[in-house]
Amino acid sequence: MPDNKYILEIKNLEKSFGDKKVLKGVDLKIPQKRVFGFVGKNGAGKTTTMKMVLGLMTPNKGEIFVNGEKVTYGNNKTNRYIGYLPDVPEYYSFMTPREYLNFCGEITYMEKKDIRSRSEELLKLVGLGEEKHRIKGFSRGMKQRLGIAQALLNKPKLLICDEPTSALDPVGRKEILDILVAAKEETTILFSTHILSDVEHICDEMALLNDGKIIMQGTIEEVKNKRRGNAIEIQFENKKDTDKLLAIFKKKDSSSLETTSSGALVVKDQKIVPEILRFIGDNSIPFIRIEKQEATLEDIFIDAIQNK
Amino acid sequence: MTAYIKKECMELTRTGKLLILGIIFILFGILNPAMAKLTPWLYEMLQDSFSEQGLIIGEVTVNAMTSWTQYFKNATMVVITIILLCSTGFTNEYQKGTLVQIVTKGLSRRKIYFSKLLVGYATWTVMFLVYTGVTLGYTVYFWGDDKVPDLFYAILFFWIFGILLMSLLSMFGALSENSGQVLLGTGGIIFITILINYVPTISKYMPIKLMDGLQLCNGTAQVSDFSEALIITSIMIIACIIIGMVAFDKRRL
Repeated sequence: MPDNKYILEIKNLEKSFGDKKVLKGVDLKIPQKRVFGFVGKNGAGKTTTMKMVLGLMTPNKGEIFVNGEKVTYGNNKTNRYIGYLPDVPEYYSFMTPREYLNFCGEITYMEKKDIRSRSEELLKLVGLGEEKHRIKGFSRGMKQRLGIAQALLNKPKLLICDEPTSALDPVGRKEILDILVAAKEETTILFSTHILSDVEHICDEMALLNDGKIIMQGTIEEVKNKRRGNAIEIQFENKKDTDKLLAIFKKKDSSSLETTSSGALVVKDQKIVPEILRFIGDNSIPFIRIEKQEATLEDIFIDAIQNK
Repeated sequence: MTAYIKKECMELTRTGKLLILGIIFILFGILNPAMAKLTPWLYEMLQDSFSEQGLIIGEVTVNAMTSWTQYFKNATMVVITIILLCSTGFTNEYQKGTLVQIVTKGLSRRKIYFSKLLVGYATWTVMFLVYTGVTLGYTVYFWGDDKVPDLFYAILFFWIFGILLMSLLSMFGALSENSGQVLLGTGGIIFITILINYVPTISKYMPIKLMDGLQLCNGTAQVSDFSEALIITSIMIIACIIIGMVAFDKRRL
């Protein structure tokens, strides 16, 4: 029996469309109260996975549990724990935002006064508090923000956002990210994207989906550490100094030194760093920078996809 | 379910659909007694050209029956209008993707399906009452208590045929991807029953016979002659509801 320590648990999920196998055994566990980034390139199967969590598609194999309850296709009971923001949310354009939220509240059997107070609270949160017009003329950003409001209306335990920022301009993107950070207080957020800076900004944990499988999962720090050690990069003013140091220290520990394309020295073993720094000091070798090499998620993403 | 029905009604009024349907059906309704009233005048106008061709027209008498004859003649137009204007109820939502958010909130598909079906029935009933009411009002006004036999049954059968149409529209709505397919399906079924209707031995079983209410009024048929068609129509309505319901449960949104 899966325990509900995990708000979402996916086990060995497989899905094919015709001959094309999109998911080849996806396993994923998401603990409560996290912002979880679900990363993968376009067409990796992120949306497919999410749709199966929502019971909008049937898996060929595997099981999904939301809050410890099994997900079924069609009339999916576990949807009451979930708030969903589709990639392009669509509304009844003849309604105003308030009317739409009221409608959403009524179909989920919320109390009238709760609907009213919660709607006001959420519309304020997403910056549509003063909006009296019908949804008809809304911009994409406004629709996306209203989408978050409708998804959070009945205080879901899990908020699923399908690429909420992909189609937006930088301002709109920042607004959505800020709202998501604010929403983190009350719910777990699973959010798919291929914009890695978004993940770095707001996520606690992430999983990388590639070629139908999760190839990496953990906290942002864990993921970063997994790919690159804490190497130190030293850029000298003269390229020959790089070669000199390389020649001297390679004798002692050949595996921990390399050079980059720009001629900087990369010291992979932390232990010999003080020795090198002492040598630089003693010989007054002019250098431009000494820094700890930080892997960006972009590097990791590209590495991981190429090394699969 | 009431929330979704409320939404459907709001959609009908705010998108102006109800207004358009209302205007069209009032016009259709007025047309019947108006045509009847104008017939003698038309004949008079054309009398000269008729007599030149050797045709002699005697006294033309118009009464309530003339008006109701027009009513049943125009029923086909009424049916086509309602099919055209009500065919998009389901498919619009698929194409826009508006149902996804609603279903993922936990509103059951059955409730959506039956709400749409009921609102469809209600729309038809209101439009039917407008069309019939306007004709009835003017007919009584012009021809007073000129009675037409079995009129109640004749128009009741027409209403039942409309209920079948709305059931077909809902079933094909659940099965189709776009409104073209809905029209093709519904139109196809009606067309087939019309074709079969030409075979005299089985024509009495065809739902389309319910549109022949005029035969009741002019005495060429009796109410009992319609029982087979009524039974078949009822079976078809139930079958449509069930097939549509199951299809809607299973369809991908």
